[in-house]
Amino acid sequence: MNLTVNGVTHEVESSLLTPLLDVLREELGITGPKAGCHQGGCGACTVLVDGEPRRSCLLPVAYADGGEITTVEGLGSPEDLSPIQEAFIHHYAAQCGFCTSGMMLAGQGYIARGGTDNAAAIQEALGGHVCRCTGYAKIVEAVAAAARGDSFDLTETAVGKYTKMTTGGAE
Amino acid sequence: MAKHKGRGIAAIEYPTGMNQNGDPSQAWIKVKPDGRIDVFAGTADIGNGSKTIQTQIVAETIGVPYDWVTYDNSNTDSSPMCTGTFASRATFVAGNAALKAAQQVKQKLLEIAGKELEIDPADLEIVDGEVVAKGAPQTKMSVADVAGAATFGHGELITGTGAQLKPYSAIIDSETGRVDTPPHSAISYATCAAEVEVDDETGEVRVLRLQQCFDVGRAINPTQVEGQIEGGAMMGLGLGVLEDCYPYYPDVEHRGGAFGSYLAPSMEDMPQIDTILIENPSADGPYGAKGIGEMANNPQPPAIAAAVHDAIGVWITELPITPERVLRALGAKAAGGGEPRREGKKIVFDEELSVNAVSNGGMRFEVPA
Amino acid sequence: MKVVGARIPRYDGVAHVTGRTTYVDDVRIPGTLWVKALRSPHHHAGIEKMDTRPAEDMAGVHAVITHADVPLLEYGHLSALGIPADEPLLALDEVRYKGQPIALVAAKDEETAAEAVSKIAIEFEERPALTDVRQAFDTDAPKIHREGNWYTHFEDEMDHRQIRKGDIDWAFEHADTIVQGVYRPAAIEHAPLETQTCQVVPEPSGRLTIYSCTQALYFSMGVVAAHLQVPLNKLKFVGGTTGGGFGGKVDTATETMCALLAQKSGRPVKWRWTREEEFLCSSTRAPWHMEIADAVTADGWILGRKMLTLHDAGAYSRFSPYGLTKHSFHHTGAYTIPNLEFDGYVVYTNRVPTTAMRGFGVTSVSFAAETHMSRIADVLGVDPIEIRLKNANRIGDTSPNGIVYTDPSTVSTIQTIAEAIGNELKAEYRTMTNEPRSGEWLPEHLVAQLGNPEEH
Repeated sequence: MNLTVNGVTHEVESSLLTPLLDVLREELGITGPKAGCHQGGCGACTVLVDGEPRRSCLLPVAYADGGEITTVEGLGSPEDLSPIQEAFIHHYAAQCGFCTSGMMLAGQGYIARGGTDNAAAIQEALGGHVCRCTGYAKIVEAVAAAARGDSFDLTETAVGKYTKMTTGGAE
Repeated sequence: MAKHKGRGIAAIEYPTGMNQNGDPSQAWIKVKPDGRIDVFAGTADIGNGSKTIQTQIVAETIGVPYDWVTYDNSNTDSSPMCTGTFASRATFVAGNAALKAAQQVKQKLLEIAGKELEIDPADLEIVDGEVVAKGAPQTKMSVADVAGAATFGHGELITGTGAQLKPYSAIIDSETGRVDTPPHSAISYATCAAEVEVDDETGEVRVLRLQQCFDVGRAINPTQVEGQIEGGAMMGLGLGVLEDCYPYYPDVEHRGGAFGSYLAPSMEDMPQIDTILIENPSADGPYGAKGIGEMANNPQPPAIAAAVHDAIGVWITELPITPERVLRALGAKAAGGGEPRREGKKIVFDEELSVNAVSNGGMRFEVPA
Repeated sequence: MKVVGARIPRYDGVAHVTGRTTYVDDVRIPGTLWVKALRSPHHHAGIEKMDTRPAEDMAGVHAVITHADVPLLEYGHLSALGIPADEPLLALDEVRYKGQPIALVAAKDEETAAEAVSKIAIEFEERPALTDVRQAFDTDAPKIHREGNWYTHFEDEMDHRQIRKGDIDWAFEHADTIVQGVYRPAAIEHAPLETQTCQVVPEPSGRLTIYSCTQALYFSMGVVAAHLQVPLNKLKFVGGTTGGGFGGKVDTATETMCALLAQKSGRPVKWRWTREEEFLCSSTRAPWHMEIADAVTADGWILGRKMLTLHDAGAYSRFSPYGLTKHSFHHTGAYTIPNLEFDGYVVYTNRVPTTAMRGFGVTSVSFAAETHMSRIADVLGVDPIEIRLKNANRIGDTSPNGIVYTDPSTVSTIQTIAEAIGNELKAEYRTMTNEPRSGEWLPEHLVAQLGNPEEH
C-alpha cells in the first residue's frame, strides 16, 4: 500500500496491521512522532490523519491508506515555522520536548476544528496528552495564543500569565 | 453531600548540589578565528534547560551576544566530566564551571586586544562583542578581529577551562551527625499556599490553586524558572493526591502498568498556579543563582494535606490523599473516632500506622511520658 | 546585564518544535538488533537452574547474556561514598524483586527477541517476601538481604543514621504539649515520556559507542567501565538530551547490558523499555515511614524533635544511604529546633529498588515536617503562619548538624505568601526579617544553638 506523509507518497512494505507509528518510525525513518507508551495512553505518537489527531500507536497502517498524514515535520521547518510552533517557542511550552510533537498536532487539530483560546476547552481537547515536565500551564497558553492568532517574538519568551517577579538582588 | 473548600500552607528549604559536596562539573571553551565561541560541557539537559543556562552564562561573562555561542554536551570524547544533572546542581555547579572557563577566555581576549591596541588589558572591557577602552569608547576592536589577530598574528588558540568542585564535607562525628563545612553549595527557599475543594460524597480532592513564592537566588532565565515551578507543582500535586506505585502499600500487588492505571497528572488536574519569584542571591553561585529543579515539587503535598484538614477536619498523612482515604477518614470521624489519643501532655495521632502497632517488637518509637 | 536574567528562548527550542531533536530511539544504525529481558516473575526466590541454550539456538538470536558474561558482576555506584556493592547486574542465584533482570537476548527483531526470552528454561524456589519496613526488624521477619534487612555501613559501621543535638529529654520535660504523628508518602514513578532507551555500537577500534538517555554521561560511563573492567577511553557516551528524567535515569539501568550484548554479538543493539517495563520494573521514588514527636510550648515554640525514619530501599542499596543522610541533615525543615534525636534506617524490602527522585530525601521531610507543623498549630490554637515565622531559620541559627545559616529566606517567602493570600500579619510578624535573633524572637532555649555566620 501507499502512504502519503507530509505531502510525499511512500510505498509501504510492512504488514497491514502494523501500527502506523512503527511504519513511520521504523520503515520510513520519520521519527517526529514518539513511542511514549505504545498503549494509546500518552499522546506522544499523535499524527494528523486528514487533519484529525489520531494515536498512531493504535492505528493499523491500513486505516491510513488514502489519507493525508501530517507529522510534526510537516507542520513547518526551522526556516518556515507554523504559528503553533512559534507559539510553543515563545511560550516556553517545551522542556524535554518528547511530548511536544503530539501536543502541537493535537493543538493544531483543535484549532482547525474552530477551537478558541478558552483554557478549559483546550484542557478538555488535549486532556489525553501526558506531559511530565511543564505542568501543562505553558502548553495551554501556547495553544490559546495560536488559537487567537497572536504574532510571536521569537527572540524572547513570554512572562507566565500568573507570574510576578520581585528582584531582591543587585546587578 | 457537599463540596468543602480549604487552604493550607507549607514553607520549605532545599539544598543546591549533592549532599556533602564532592561533585565536580567541568567545562572548556575555544574561540573560533572569527570570535565565535564554542562551549563543551558534560552536563545532560533533561528538559531543565541547562544548555540554555550555560550558554547565557558564557555569553554574559565574556561579553558577546547570545547567538555567538554554540554549546555541545553531546558526547564524552569532546566534553569534560560533569557528575550529572540531579541534586539541583546544573545551574550552580555546572554553570559555575562554564562561568570560570568564560572568565579565562575573556581574560585572554583582553590580553590579545591589549597588545593590538597597546592598552593595558585592565583598562579594557568587552561589550556586545567589542573590546572597548573603559572611558574611551571610540577606542575599540571587535572580538572577531581579536580572534583573527590571535589566530593569524600571534599564533594562539584562545581557550578557557573551568572546574567547579566544593570539597567533600565529611561527617566528623557519627553520633551527632556533625559536619565541619556546609554540606551544600547553597540553600533555596519556598512557601506554598494550596486551595482545595473536597467532595464529601465522592472523597475527591481537587486542587484549585497553588500560590507559591520561590527564592531562586538569581533567575538566570526567568521563564525557565517558571517552567520548573509549574512542572514541579504538577508533580507535587501527583505525589499529594494521585500517584502511587503500590496502591495497597506495603503490599506489592496490583501495580498500574499504563497511563490510566497509574495516575500521572493530566491537563484536567491543573490548578491555577501563581508564581512569585524573589531573588536573594547566593554567595558564590553564578550571578547569585541557586538551584530550583527539585524543590519545585516539595511544598505541595503538605500544603494540600493541611488544606484538606481545613476543608473537612481530617488529617490524612498517608499519600496520596485518595478518595478512599478521605471517605474512610470522614466515616471514622462521623462514628466519633479519628481523634488523637491524649495521655498527659501527649497528643498522639496515627497510632494505627506506627511501628509500635505493626512490628513484633523489633522496632519501637518511644516518647517519654 | 544583557543575557543573564533575560527570557532567552530554549537553545534547542526550534529543534524540539520541528521534530529535529534526536533522542536515543531516533538514532538509526543499520544492522541494529533488538533487546529483550528475562525478568523475575517472583518477589523473592532462589534460582535453582537456568538453561539459555534454547534461546541461543533460536534462528535470529545473535547473543544471550547472563551473570556469567559480566566481568565485574557487582559494582556499587556510590562506592566512592562508602556504600558497598550489593546488587548484581544480572541475577546470580536469587531474585529479590519482581522484574529483576536475569538474562538478556539480542535478536533480529522485537518479536524474535521476546520469543527467545520465553524459551529460556528457568526454575525458581519461591521464598517468603518482606514488604513492610515496620516488620523488617522483627526476629521472625524473612531475611532478604545477605547482610540482614537493613543497611549497616554508615560511618563507624553504624546501622542507622543518627543526629543528636542539645538535650531532647530537657525538651520533653519542659514542653507544654508533645505532638506525635506518623507520615507515609508513597513510592511514585518518574514516568518520563521517554522510556529507558539505549543503543550501543561496537566500533572497529574495539571501542563501544553508547547512545544513552542518562542524566549523567560521565557517571554512567564510570559504571559501565567498572562492570566491564575497561578504562574510560574504551567507551564513548553519546547523549545529553534526555526525554525527561527526574532522577530515574541515573541508575544506568540499560547501558552495561547493552554494551555486553554489542560486544558478544559484534552488532549494534538497541534496548527500548516498554511503558509497562517502565512502570513495573524501573526504580521508583522511595516510600518513607516517618514518626515525629515534637516538644512544643503553648505559644508555639518547637523545643525539640524526636524522629524515626524508615526508608524503604527496595531490594538493594543503590543510592538509599545517601538519600537518608540528606534527609537527616534536613529533618528540621526550615525551622530552628535546638534539641534533636533523629534515627533513620535504610530498610530492604522485596520490591523494585528505590532511587533518587526529584527532591531525594528531602521531599519526604517536607511532607512530614510541614504537615506536622500545621497539626501543631491546629492543636495549640496558634496561627499556622505565625508559628512558622517565629520558628523559621534566622542568620546565625544552626542546622541539625551544626552548620550556621547565613541567609535563609524562609521569613520573606512566608511573608510574601501571607500577603498574596490576603492574610494580614500582626505588626511584629510583618516587620520580621531574617536578621539574627534578638528580643522576643530569642527565647532562652534558642541561645545555646546560635553560631557565628562569619565562620561559614
